[in-house]
Amino acid sequence: MQITLVQGILLALACIVIGVDYWLEAFFIFRPIIVASITGLILGDLKLGLVAGGLTELAFAGLTPAGGTQPPNPILAGVMTVVIAHTTNTSPALAIGLALPFSILMQYVILFFYSSFSMFMARADHYAENADAKALTQLNYLTTAIVAVSYGVIVFLSAYAAQDLLKSLIDILPIWFIHGLEIAGGILPAVGFAMLLNVMLKLQYIPFFIVGFFLITYLPIANLLPVAVVGLGLGMYDYFFVKSDDEKAKGGVQNDGI
Amino acid sequence: MTVSNKVLTKKDISDMAYRSVFLQASFNYERMQAGGWTVAMLPALEKIYKDDKEGLAAAMTDNMQFINTHPTLVPFLMTLLLSLEENGSDRTLIKGIKVGLFGPLAGIGDAIFWFTVLPIMAGISSSFALEGNVLGPIIFFAVYVGIFIMRFPLARAGYELGTTALDSLRESSKKLSRAATILGTTVIGALAAAYVHITLLPTIELNDGITISIQEAFIDKIFPNLLPLAYVFTMFYFIRVRKVSPTVLILVTIVLTIVLSFLGIL
Repeated sequence: MQITLVQGILLALACIVIGVDYWLEAFFIFRPIIVASITGLILGDLKLGLVAGGLTELAFAGLTPAGGTQPPNPILAGVMTVVIAHTTNTSPALAIGLALPFSILMQYVILFFYSSFSMFMARADHYAENADAKALTQLNYLTTAIVAVSYGVIVFLSAYAAQDLLKSLIDILPIWFIHGLEIAGGILPAVGFAMLLNVMLKLQYIPFFIVGFFLITYLPIANLLPVAVVGLGLGMYDYFFVKSDDEKAKGGVQNDGI
Repeated sequence: MTVSNKVLTKKDISDMAYRSVFLQASFNYERMQAGGWTVAMLPALEKIYKDDKEGLAAAMTDNMQFINTHPTLVPFLMTLLLSLEENGSDRTLIKGIKVGLFGPLAGIGDAIFWFTVLPIMAGISSSFALEGNVLGPIIFFAVYVGIFIMRFPLARAGYELGTTALDSLRESSKKLSRAATILGTTVIGALAAAYVHITLLPTIELNDGITISIQEAFIDKIFPNLLPLAYVFTMFYFIRVRKVSPTVLILVTIVLTIVLSFLGIL
């Protein structure tokens, strides 16, 4: 199905708001589960938005800006997974893979802003020295507005202007290629989880990983909540009963891996 | 010239909860959150330094120093420092406390919000959404609105705490980080088992025409989820030891699955 001009504009407007939310990390409406659902609503296919949102959210669960790396952009991933599945009648699992180039493009746009906004800092220092509160505030509005507008433009071009190109691309792809992309959707979360582990995992935490992994593997548990409760219990036990390194050896430097 | 009288009202302090959203407004690699941090602090600083333009300039210049901390927890640090500014504390002390605390706050915030709350919420809300249930995104949004509202009590707590309990704060933040890491690691173990799907397609043909699937007959009998576990730790190895960027690993994973799909293995 085609995306109409009105839908393209609505998507762009929604992503201006969502983009600012990601920039400021305020309400987390930038996560794929929300972005894809909103996109589904705008395109008149909420169900598709929900399923695509669930899949994309899992694929992006570990791809966080914490830990030092800017991940592929979750907003473009959410929007374009739904847009591609909607316009080309493909499954959401396949669309995740096809949406990835858009997500990586936006990742590099943000990285460009991170670098180039450094140039504003000399001017910010100048405002601070002169106690010019108004100018410093306006500078911060300006940088946020630049980010907001670029989300609007990039989402409009990706979702509305590029749709025919995408559709003809899907038509020429062979079955094994499409099957491969669908499988990738089920394996990609591994990269995200590995990233989470990279930040958190030290040798002494492995027992807890094992507990979570084997509870899910061998027990018929419908969702993660019971495991989270077990983890909470283990964490509370540690908090209340296990002494920290500092308490054990005064002056010892603790590196808690975070 | 310092100002020692209390000038900030309760409203000024709770306003810091939403002013703190400015934190990353001009984020950049050189100063990170410094610009947005300073803007968030401005109305309170202007009130404290009323006619003292030099004092305000000094405070603004100090606030423009590098800072990188956690957006949800930052109101706590902002109001704590405001209570020091209000008391006319030495600039060196204010700077020292800011520099000493933003790192630990970032650590505890990342451990709780990025590495514990997010994986749990992603897992729970996705399990609803995948069934086409609109509760998925609604629950997710509700929880994050709740987390945003936490900024208000955090703003009050920071202001009230002043400097009285800084050491115990540092100590308990370490223990809290560790407890959160335990919870997070448990959940990531569960996520890896629940949401990474790798199924081998090849079958072995026995001589009487019966075929058995390698996946069902061997792997699922001995150790279901063996392949997902192996793949997660292969990725972990490349990230931790080889320092490969996750974007590269994502692209490699996609190419690999397409090749294995072509060969009929996946």
